[in-house]
Amino acid sequence: MEIFRNMWRRKFRTFLTIIGISVGIFAFTVMGSLALKLNKMIDGGKKYITGQISIAPKGTNFSTGQMSGTLPIDTLNKIAQVEGVEAVEPSVSLALDEPNPDEPVSMGMGVPPTIYTIDPNSNFKNRNWETLEMKEGELIGVDNSDDEITIGHTIALDKKWKVGDEVKIRGREFKVAGILEKTMTGPDSYVFIKLPIVREMYIEANPFLKSLKEKADEAAKVSDTELSKLSPEAREQIVQAKSFNVNDISDSASVSWKDGEDPEKVVERIKEKFKNDVVVLSPKKMGEEIDKASAMFNAVILGSAMLALIVGLFSIINTMIMSISERTKEIGIKKAIGASGWSIALEYTVEAGVISMLGGLVGMGLGVLMATLVNNKMAEKGAEIFLIESGFLIQVIAFSFIIGIVAGVIPAMRASKMKVVEAIREL
Amino acid sequence: MEQDVVVSAKGLTKSYRMSKTNIVKALCGVNIEVRKGDFSAIIGPSGCGKSTLMHILGLLDCPDSGELFIDGEDVTNLKDRNAYKIRAQKIGFIFQGFNLIPTLTALENVVLAGKYGGMKSKARKDKAIELMKLVGLEDRMNHKPSELSGGQQQRVAIARALMNDPSLILADEPTGELDTKTSLEIINILKKLNKEGKTFLIVTHNMEVAEACKKTIRLRDGNNA
Repeated sequence: MEIFRNMWRRKFRTFLTIIGISVGIFAFTVMGSLALKLNKMIDGGKKYITGQISIAPKGTNFSTGQMSGTLPIDTLNKIAQVEGVEAVEPSVSLALDEPNPDEPVSMGMGVPPTIYTIDPNSNFKNRNWETLEMKEGELIGVDNSDDEITIGHTIALDKKWKVGDEVKIRGREFKVAGILEKTMTGPDSYVFIKLPIVREMYIEANPFLKSLKEKADEAAKVSDTELSKLSPEAREQIVQAKSFNVNDISDSASVSWKDGEDPEKVVERIKEKFKNDVVVLSPKKMGEEIDKASAMFNAVILGSAMLALIVGLFSIINTMIMSISERTKEIGIKKAIGASGWSIALEYTVEAGVISMLGGLVGMGLGVLMATLVNNKMAEKGAEIFLIESGFLIQVIAFSFIIGIVAGVIPAMRASKMKVVEAIREL
Repeated sequence: MEQDVVVSAKGLTKSYRMSKTNIVKALCGVNIEVRKGDFSAIIGPSGCGKSTLMHILGLLDCPDSGELFIDGEDVTNLKDRNAYKIRAQKIGFIFQGFNLIPTLTALENVVLAGKYGGMKSKARKDKAIELMKLVGLEDRMNHKPSELSGGQQQRVAIARALMNDPSLILADEPTGELDTKTSLEIINILKKLNKEGKTFLIVTHNMEVAEACKKTIRLRDGNNA
């Protein structure tokens, strides 16, 4: 009670100090909620990526996300024969919307809307993510027709698509068969379409592949009899054009291992044979890469919030030092009537802690308000950028109290060491 | 040491260095003995060392040399980290300027001394109420010092000094800031408490206060006169 009365003595100064610390805690709450959201997304991605062995075309850079070409299907078929490999599932991914050069690139959070393949005939199973929970409808499988799709939570919100809706994607007609439950990670932004259809769309989107396919289609019309009549050069070209197969198109592949197999050993076996043809990424290595990236990311986000907090910390130190110099007389009286140095130090430290905690409550309240308002706005598009967790908020308040305690220690120690007789002389 | 000696000081000296060359000798070997139930006054002209002696006897400062015993315990060179216990439990202070904590009510000021003396929460509140009644302020308990008159504030300070049943109550010019009538009231309260067995050592240059005391200790130029 005395603490609040002491704070009330210098209302304006206490108010300014509370504002100082609340700015820091506001930044900490907002940045922390942002980091929580991104970490949740990253964790989901990590869970998925560490449940499989990933194969990418040679030259792919996973740090920059730059993909390079397509995977040779022959190699994938051979990888399926490697000891310990259970199944290989080729996949193709494609941006949901065709890029529009007249519209600026939107800098959204997380995974952009993506078409992702599903191959109902594949035996591949991600070890960490065997099933996707459905919110509504079904995940497309063998029984669904080629024009049926399953969409992620964010896509459903953003596009306002419902189960049963007829929708148009890249000029093709599809029917929504199901909507996934919110995963807080990649699949929220995916549209799952059967593999052969995505391959066709992938070729459509790529002028080079499109011309190859057109040539192949033309070449397919040339009969063997006609072919034998052509010159050797023309025959060679037609044969080459005919060799193009839509089923060869895949920009990545996922490999699952047999029960009881060590995935790292399976990775070694694949690398041993195919390191010159494809990039093989082990679950362990991918997990480490993701951890490294998220640690760096968290450090940047939380570091900037910390900077704001340090400013707040100094404002508390300043306030407490001023407060102590004003209350030298009281410290003298208290010591004269029997207060120990420890009890004086405790009194001032707790006062600093309470000031800081009040600032923390204000800052956290404003932070939560802002995050909620932004999230509500973004929720219409299913793209919330903050994750507000009660556990984190409790930590924020505890942290603000600790900051105050830390800031209060130095002034409090000064108060506790004050010579009684010197303080008394101020009387 | 005799059982009823509360304070025994021998050859207390204290100097203050004002500058490199100016050293002021405040006490030059003062001897003093206070027995249980004493009602003594320390008198002397300004600058004779009264306040310095008071600070040393109240363990607010250390002597340069000499011996100081309180209740038979050698406290001559007690460090501050240990002195607070003696201050809390064996010494009660009454200051000239009352020195109440302005943010606390009269009752809370009294309770605070009990807290530092290690009393339990309920016990210290009960005792403080009892003491406020003793000094006739039961109807002003919840008032802040700024809402009390000088005499009322000094009565709160007396109640605070009594809170931990100290062996010795040191009063530094207890009537220094009060009018004659109120001074008399305060002296009467102190005398009444002395009759009930409380031991007082009062620093004063008010001759009326000194005359009210049973014993007078005179100081001159830092020495016993």
